[in-house]
Amino acid sequence: MNPIFEEIKDAIVDGDEDLAIELAEKVVAEKIDPVQAVQLGFIKGIEEVGAAWTSGEAFLPDVMMAADAMKAGMDVLEEVLAAGEGEGAYEDKGKIVLGTVEGDIHDIGKNIVGALLTSAGFKVYDIGIDQKAEDFVAKADEVGAKIIAASSLLTTTMKSQKVLVEYLDAQNLRSKYKIIIGGGPTSAKWGEDIGADGWAETADEAVELCKQLM
Amino acid sequence: MLPKFDVLTDEQINKIHKNSLKILQEIGIEFSYDPAIEVFKKHGQRVEGHRVFLDPDFVEEMVEKAPAQFTLHARNPEHNLICGGENIIYMPGYGAPFVYDADGGKRDATMADYDNFVKLAGASKNMHMTGGTVVEPTDVEDEIRHLKMAYSHIINSDKCFMGSSSGYEQAMDSIKLTAVLHGGMDVIKEKPALICLVNSVTPLKYDDRMLGGLMAYAETGQPMVIASLVMAGSTGPATMAGALSLQNAEVLAGITLTQCINPGTPVVYGSTSAVTDMSTGSLSIGNPENALFTSASAQFSRFYGVPCRGGGGLTDAKTVDAQAGYESMMVLFAASTTGVNFVLHTAGILQYYMAMSYEKFMVDDEIAGMVLRYLKGFDCDSDEKMAYDVIEKVGPGGHFLTQKHTRKNFKTEFFRPALSDRQSFDGWSKDSIDTNQRAKLKWQEVLASYTPPELDPAVKEKVEAFIEKRSKELLK
Repeated sequence: MNPIFEEIKDAIVDGDEDLAIELAEKVVAEKIDPVQAVQLGFIKGIEEVGAAWTSGEAFLPDVMMAADAMKAGMDVLEEVLAAGEGEGAYEDKGKIVLGTVEGDIHDIGKNIVGALLTSAGFKVYDIGIDQKAEDFVAKADEVGAKIIAASSLLTTTMKSQKVLVEYLDAQNLRSKYKIIIGGGPTSAKWGEDIGADGWAETADEAVELCKQLM
Repeated sequence: MLPKFDVLTDEQINKIHKNSLKILQEIGIEFSYDPAIEVFKKHGQRVEGHRVFLDPDFVEEMVEKAPAQFTLHARNPEHNLICGGENIIYMPGYGAPFVYDADGGKRDATMADYDNFVKLAGASKNMHMTGGTVVEPTDVEDEIRHLKMAYSHIINSDKCFMGSSSGYEQAMDSIKLTAVLHGGMDVIKEKPALICLVNSVTPLKYDDRMLGGLMAYAETGQPMVIASLVMAGSTGPATMAGALSLQNAEVLAGITLTQCINPGTPVVYGSTSAVTDMSTGSLSIGNPENALFTSASAQFSRFYGVPCRGGGGLTDAKTVDAQAGYESMMVLFAASTTGVNFVLHTAGILQYYMAMSYEKFMVDDEIAGMVLRYLKGFDCDSDEKMAYDVIEKVGPGGHFLTQKHTRKNFKTEFFRPALSDRQSFDGWSKDSIDTNQRAKLKWQEVLASYTPPELDPAVKEKVEAFIEKRSKELLK
């Protein structure tokens, strides 16, 4: 086995974004098998962090920095992977568009959910804060996402989650996507009331929810 | 009142103060609201887009203009409150969207809950005002929620209350409604009667909604709490000194804006900073770090010469259990003994501000009573209190139970529990119910026997007419 795979794994476990990029660039430059780099390097690393998280040994900074390092490295490999280079094929567990709804500029909870989804093998497209319904849908359409995840921390912006569902209905796109919601003041009942496909209280629960919906 | 103890040395205060000013000068802070940006430009501050870079001398000069204390006026003058100095003001929790029941159930809060919590605060001798947004009444339309909430405070009690800060328009509605209650805008300009809560969005931002609220209160001379909640480890640095510097920078920037708009506007330095639970990312408030941030904020308020808001009966517990009790006591005790003046969230909060609980309200009310007694300290001012004569009279080996002196003094000297059980084991075991269940019986009893103080029918009519007119306009 090429020793670089072990180095990639360690870079992910350490949450070292710069090193992950550097190693990914080396994979491309030296024409090392990118699928193996993903499976024996990036995935191995994120799985190790995920396991430590589940057992309570790893904390949020560990998981979030590992997810960032993984994303940065994978972005470098995207082109060669898309070109079908390497033995076999790499596929993510599903694509998810994630953002905070219109009128709300709270970032952190959404970022935690994004990191945990990434560490669970999903491909996450984080469109940021204060995002309109049409922005969620445009991104989902562009990347071919199956799940749209909308966050809201304020009782005053929860209604933007409802607007998102209504927008999809109006565009006749409702059946194309699964919509999940979350955030402090939201609840399972609110999710049902607005016709969302799921609600999760914590980031861990959001990962389970996405596994079920995929 | 007991002397307040410090948690920071003068040197530490100075270091953090300088650090905060450097943050504001070199990193800057974002104000998303254009009218606020215009104010800073007019005052010669460097602005890039929505980011404002504040000159340290300018910040100090502006904060200096804020009063050290002010009086908040109630419709019953007996309930007027002085905010600042040695005074402490307790009130219910603020902003929780859920209610947790005694049996562990969770539900959306409603307007009926709202009225109930206002009444419980009205009935309590430990709650000095009835607070604001005591729950989020999710069964009332957003557009008119602020009017319904204000109405509940007006008719269910004659104590001071808080108004909406949710955007300029809603804030103005609350202020105008309060003006109707007190006899006109001129009256409340002279005698402030409504206070609101303005929060930054950490790190280093203020949003449109809050800034709109801030400007409405500043323009009309109504007081406000300018508060920052740094979640150390996620929305702020993981070090206590770093998180406190960040909080302090945000609050100073907010206070600066209020004084630019209307010099002398009463403001309260607010803190709800606490830590992030690093396993889940959730806020955690029932801990020693929160108590330290709270006490440090009281000290900073003394340093800047403004009143302080912080602390409360704060907990991460989901039900009224031992954790709810010990965490709440720690944070409320720290706040009260280190000089916080305005204690939002004194009673009712469970799970880091997410829920209100009737049972928790009663437990916190008991804690509040205990702390208020503690704060009174020792009275050594008279021979009567020194009790030499009665000690002489009883002499060695006697007892004091049948002395006039005892009968006369114990009621004022001793705290009398309303909820705690002091019976023998046999006495307790007749019902053998825990605090949670006792609290449930207690709040039901308090609500059943509460009669709201009467409101002058002519004023009531005007208040209702205002609400009806505005509701029609807003629901169009």
